Amino acid sequence: MKAVIDWLDDRSGFRALIKEALYEKVPGGARWRYVWGSCLTFAFFAQVVTGTLLWMFYSPSAQTAWESVYFLQYHVWGGWFLRGIHHYMAQAMVVLLVLHLMQVVIDGAYKAPRELNFWFGIALMGVTLGLSLTGYLLPWDQKGYWATAVATNLIAEVPLVGVYLQKLVIGGTEYGHHTVTRFFALHAGVLPGALIALVVGHIYLFRRHGIHAKEPRPKRDSYFWPDQVLKDAVACLAVALAVIVLTLYFHGAPLGPPADPANEFPARPEWYFLFLFQLLKYVPAFWGAIIIPAFVVLLMFAQPFIGKSEKGHRFNIGFLWCLLIGAGALTFLAFSEDRANKKHFAAVEEADWLAKRVVEIADKQGIPPSGAVTLLREDHENRARRLFSSNCASCHLYNGHDGRGFPVDSNQSAPDLAGVASREWLEELLDYDHYVSTKYFGGTAFKDGKMATKVLKKFDEEEKALVPKVAALLSDIAGLPYQKPLSEKDREEGFDVFFDELGCIDCHDIEDEDEGSAPDLTGYGSRDWLTAVVGDPSHERFYGKDNDRMPSFARDEKLTDEEIDILVDWLRSKPSTNSEVR
Amino acid sequence: MSEPKDSPEDGDRRAFITKATVGVSASCSVFPFAAGVPAFLDPVSGNGDNADEIPWSKVASLSALPEDGTPTRFGIVRERVTDAWTTLTNVPVGAVYIIKQGEQVKAFNLKCPHLGCTIDHRSDRRDFFCPCHNSSFALDGSVSDDASPSPRGMDGLETKIEDGFVYVRFQQFRPNLAEQVPLT
Repeated sequence: MKAVIDWLDDRSGFRALIKEALYEKVPGGARWRYVWGSCLTFAFFAQVVTGTLLWMFYSPSAQTAWESVYFLQYHVWGGWFLRGIHHYMAQAMVVLLVLHLMQVVIDGAYKAPRELNFWFGIALMGVTLGLSLTGYLLPWDQKGYWATAVATNLIAEVPLVGVYLQKLVIGGTEYGHHTVTRFFALHAGVLPGALIALVVGHIYLFRRHGIHAKEPRPKRDSYFWPDQVLKDAVACLAVALAVIVLTLYFHGAPLGPPADPANEFPARPEWYFLFLFQLLKYVPAFWGAIIIPAFVVLLMFAQPFIGKSEKGHRFNIGFLWCLLIGAGALTFLAFSEDRANKKHFAAVEEADWLAKRVVEIADKQGIPPSGAVTLLREDHENRARRLFSSNCASCHLYNGHDGRGFPVDSNQSAPDLAGVASREWLEELLDYDHYVSTKYFGGTAFKDGKMATKVLKKFDEEEKALVPKVAALLSDIAGLPYQKPLSEKDREEGFDVFFDELGCIDCHDIEDEDEGSAPDLTGYGSRDWLTAVVGDPSHERFYGKDNDRMPSFARDEKLTDEEIDILVDWLRSKPSTNSEVR
Repeated sequence: MSEPKDSPEDGDRRAFITKATVGVSASCSVFPFAAGVPAFLDPVSGNGDNADEIPWSKVASLSALPEDGTPTRFGIVRERVTDAWTTLTNVPVGAVYIIKQGEQVKAFNLKCPHLGCTIDHRSDRRDFFCPCHNSSFALDGSVSDDASPSPRGMDGLETKIEDGFVYVRFQQFRPNLAEQVPLT
């Protein structure tokens, strides 16, 4: 063994190299404040390793990017963990960058003769942020898609060449295959390559000038090995542990619904870019994305010269603190504005729902070659929610929202249709106070109609006690998939009440008997009945000329028969509780 | 220039620090690899193995096959194939030779059992021949020449005839073994 090592050493001289690497002198002894550079190198190493492993699963194209990540996340053994580590290590890198920069500037390690190395550091910071930005798009989910759409639109703000630059980056005018392939080449090839080249220069220059000791020196000088290496390694281990804890706590990195150019998304960048996002609310894009960042970077490049005097050094430190505090304040503002924004909250909730839904469907049916986004586009529940939101929610609510979970700006004018025809819904409807409340007919002409003023209002206690029986009967006729059918005895009792005790039959038809002026309740709440009501509420069978503003969706071809079927099936399904506005 | 020096009592401490440093550094270096080991090993974990029964594929009508036992080549199309995340429909998955023997048929996978090239049918010599490494097979599938590198005869497949149509249970086998072992 020793002979082999000796031979290798003789031919390569690696012992001297290791000695050179490990026996770097550390003036003033090993210190915790020197660990950040090593931590960053470690984090980058971890990203290269985990990134290469992720590469084995990733398929860069508009129809396979999300799909391959989905497969890794949900069907590959430990795939979620691998992805989670890469995701949170990227975030840890940003934090470490800030710590490293602050330590270097506060300790004065950026001053002569280390100017060049400081500039290498700034360049490294830029490349790292570029890696974050490009990595964010690769899952091709709604979050990455829309956040990157904003980022690439900002590229167009670059003077003179902006428009061409933007086309080069996204591989054309529209987002598509070449956007993914280009971002992937940048993320896994160009930028890591640049980073390695810069790190080599950075470490070479660092070795050339040695560690800049922060005065006063606490201890006598020592060597890099083993004291400083131990501190570095412990810090790296702490970073790794923090990343593992984050990964386990959040169960890996999030994966939003697949990118869909046709559907809006609450676009927000990762938290460390939020300050820029917030800044763009206050200043024009050209200033926020070009002038101000360019000014900051230029000033940072000038810091080694500014720092020549003691005053200049203090200015540099103050400047960075101001930047940090400013970015922190903007980030805080961005978060608190979003928290106060109910629509944003609903949009996030809906995105979460879609993300869960598409995985559910993909697990069950598999993904067609056209991609997972078609699964959502064809999903009846998703389509029903959207149809309700755009066709019904201007008058009707659903559990107090627009069907998709969004709050509604104007006052509700027609009944809330969540749980329509269910026993609970009918019992409430047939109570006068509820009937004339805005949850039911309070916003319509029926508030002052015969049913309200001449019937429900006049009910005595005894009659009121009979209402649940009618509600049970009608709801049984509806035959909702989530309600148990009535027993024959209860049904008969319901009919007795309907015909005799409450005399509903005087106005409402039921089971094709009699002829009343009020809506025909034959087959009430069934698929056919609801389809007919939605199709033409002004029909004699229903509200006739008393119909209050409800459009005839089928008669006037506002919706196709298929769309009405989808809507009706959804209305007849059990209202989900998770989409209620909180 | 003062060189850092160890006092004798530092010896134990130094040994400890060295060990600790090696240990912690090693853990750090191993960590990113370890994070991906399960995912990397997923293909051999049995996680994605297809436990479904092999479906019957409809290949040809019995009457369309040559009576003289000349092999006819047919593609096998599966109704539903899952490739990682993608579910494909009506995908060609391979090909077979079908030989009619009276009211019975024999089916052979086109893949050479040696190293997986595609076997040709030589009508002039009335045999099968693999152009990659020169394995030759008789029409009953057996190795017909001692110089053939193939360790076994061509892979026969289960067949059935229903309503005048030939069905085959198409599957692949591990190459270069004397016995036929299905690939799962």
